[in-house]
Amino acid sequence: MEKEMILHSLSWRFLTIAPCDAAEPWQLGSQNAATPIMQGIIYLHHDIFFFLILILVFVSRILVRALWHFHEQTNPVPQRIVHGTTIEIIRTIFPSIIPMFIAIPSFALLYSMDEVVVDPAITIKAIGHQWYWTYEYSDYNSGDEESLTFDSYMIPEDDLELGQSRLLEVDNRVVVPAKTNLRMIVTPADVPHSWAVPSSGVKCDAVPGRSNNTSIFIQREGVYYGQCSEIRGTNHAFTPIVVEAVSLKDYGSRVFNQLILQTN
Amino acid sequence: MAEIELKTAPADFRFPTTNQTRHCFTRYIEYHKCVAAKGEETPDCHKFAKYYRSLCPGEWVEKWNEQRANGTFPGPL
Amino acid sequence: MSLACQIEGKFPFFTTLGGGGLKGGLHTTGAKWFMIESQRHSYHLVDPSPWPISGSLGALATTVGGVMYMHSFQGGATLLSLGLIFILYTMLVWWRDVLRESTLEGHHTKAVQLGPRYGSILFIVSEVMFLFAFFWASSHSSLAPTVEIGGIWPPKGIGVLDPWEIPFLNTPILPSSGAAVTWAHHAILAKKEKRAVLALVATVSLALVSTGFQGMEYYQAPSNISDSIYGSTFFLATGFHGFHVIIGTLFLIICGIRQYLGHLTKEHHVGFEAAAWYWHFVDVVRLFPFVSIYWWGGI
Repeated sequence: MEKEMILHSLSWRFLTIAPCDAAEPWQLGSQNAATPIMQGIIYLHHDIFFFLILILVFVSRILVRALWHFHEQTNPVPQRIVHGTTIEIIRTIFPSIIPMFIAIPSFALLYSMDEVVVDPAITIKAIGHQWYWTYEYSDYNSGDEESLTFDSYMIPEDDLELGQSRLLEVDNRVVVPAKTNLRMIVTPADVPHSWAVPSSGVKCDAVPGRSNNTSIFIQREGVYYGQCSEIRGTNHAFTPIVVEAVSLKDYGSRVFNQLILQTN
Repeated sequence: MAEIELKTAPADFRFPTTNQTRHCFTRYIEYHKCVAAKGEETPDCHKFAKYYRSLCPGEWVEKWNEQRANGTFPGPL
Repeated sequence: MSLACQIEGKFPFFTTLGGGGLKGGLHTTGAKWFMIESQRHSYHLVDPSPWPISGSLGALATTVGGVMYMHSFQGGATLLSLGLIFILYTMLVWWRDVLRESTLEGHHTKAVQLGPRYGSILFIVSEVMFLFAFFWASSHSSLAPTVEIGGIWPPKGIGVLDPWEIPFLNTPILPSSGAAVTWAHHAILAKKEKRAVLALVATVSLALVSTGFQGMEYYQAPSNISDSIYGSTFFLATGFHGFHVIIGTLFLIICGIRQYLGHLTKEHHVGFEAAAWYWHFVDVVRLFPFVSIYWWGGI
């Protein structure tokens, strides 16, 4: 029993294998990518980190050398050099090339996030409320009223079951098909909100009177956790988002069953 | 197994940006202009209705329908 | 060698004074001569004055009273009016003092005149930015109208003025007035005092005609400031322009009176110059609301 507990504790400390795509204890990096966009964000992070380390090492070395060699005891007579054309050219050109190498992949990624290349197969509307999300699936409507609409509330701490994540679990998940082009339309019904799912690489602001569009292509089935990312009042921290990506077949039957449930 | 058709409003080159407010509004206008021109029963206008239902939050459509009923809809119908 | 000696050596007494202060002041008396003699620099060290603190108190009363009034507090309107009266009174007496210092006491040497010149220019630049914001708001709302107003401009049901009636009639009046003020400037430079007064009377008359037309236009306007974003931007932009026309008119009236009293000379007429600059700013700016708000925005 004790051994088991120790093992459990160790695994939580060092092996942090998350049960699903959510934030983990002691997490440092990004969550695993579920979409090509998130993959791109992670690659960009690595790209920039290369330059960061290069700069860190170089600047530290210069700093330490300067402190060492020009110390009063080592170098009692100060140098009188105030000008050096070569070094001035080098230290101007190099620092302007590095941001260019960072800017090019950064812009490429930024614009690819905005781009809607292919026609999406499904449109899902996420409507922010104080303090829950409403999801509308209206592709299958034949009138203005009937619509597959449901609210997604956080599960309160007291109602959580074993293994569920605190402040992240909701009563109704957004069910979407994996390996399909999705269009998310994000808008609020009251104050500004923000629909964000880290492993999808999506953070879309919900602005009153405006509907924002973001496209998602989830590459694997799974459950993805996110939280509202616009600070706006008392219960801001209690508006989680849970996306459940299922196979296209399962999606079809779920939506169909829901529609039948609603119309009857 | 239940079969549903996976089809939604296509990407529209008139509205290439993140902000899709006007995309939804334009489709709503297009539907009602089409109905005004061809009548309620023709299937030609169906696709516009599908489009705006996919793109517009339900609350907006509700509000606009109400405005049209009251004669206070601001759009060019 | 001390600093004072250096300055004295470099700038003999008369050059230090500069031309403007002495030749410009018409009322230099014997007593003045004595006072200026004891001053070894060309700057004006002002006497202690109560107006900065009275103006500040007026501004405090105005802001607090304004907030109280808008939130329906008791006495809000009284405090607001009191604050505004305080500010207006301070403006009156402060400028009266400046006129006494410059015209009657001759403190405004060429070097001192630079201050109000730069001040006027910077003030006008800030005014340009101020009005630019309103045209920005108007263009922002009209170039891509939101869905709340149906995506059309002017919004449905909003009556729009015909740009080719009063607005078009009113547009050339202000530039004509600007031409008249240039005439006044040339008259001052040519030492034709009476003609300058005449020209300023013409300038102010045209300005009053313009304001009158603007008032008529507002009176006949089919919409008001509460009528959607159209009314808000329209009346904010044109109204603030009209307000600036009134300020410029008052400024020119004061200059006209001073010209009549012989305050303005060929060498020293900074007040008039500032009024003329301000007036040109106002008359040029008139073209923007006509083109962008009345004409383009009304189609």
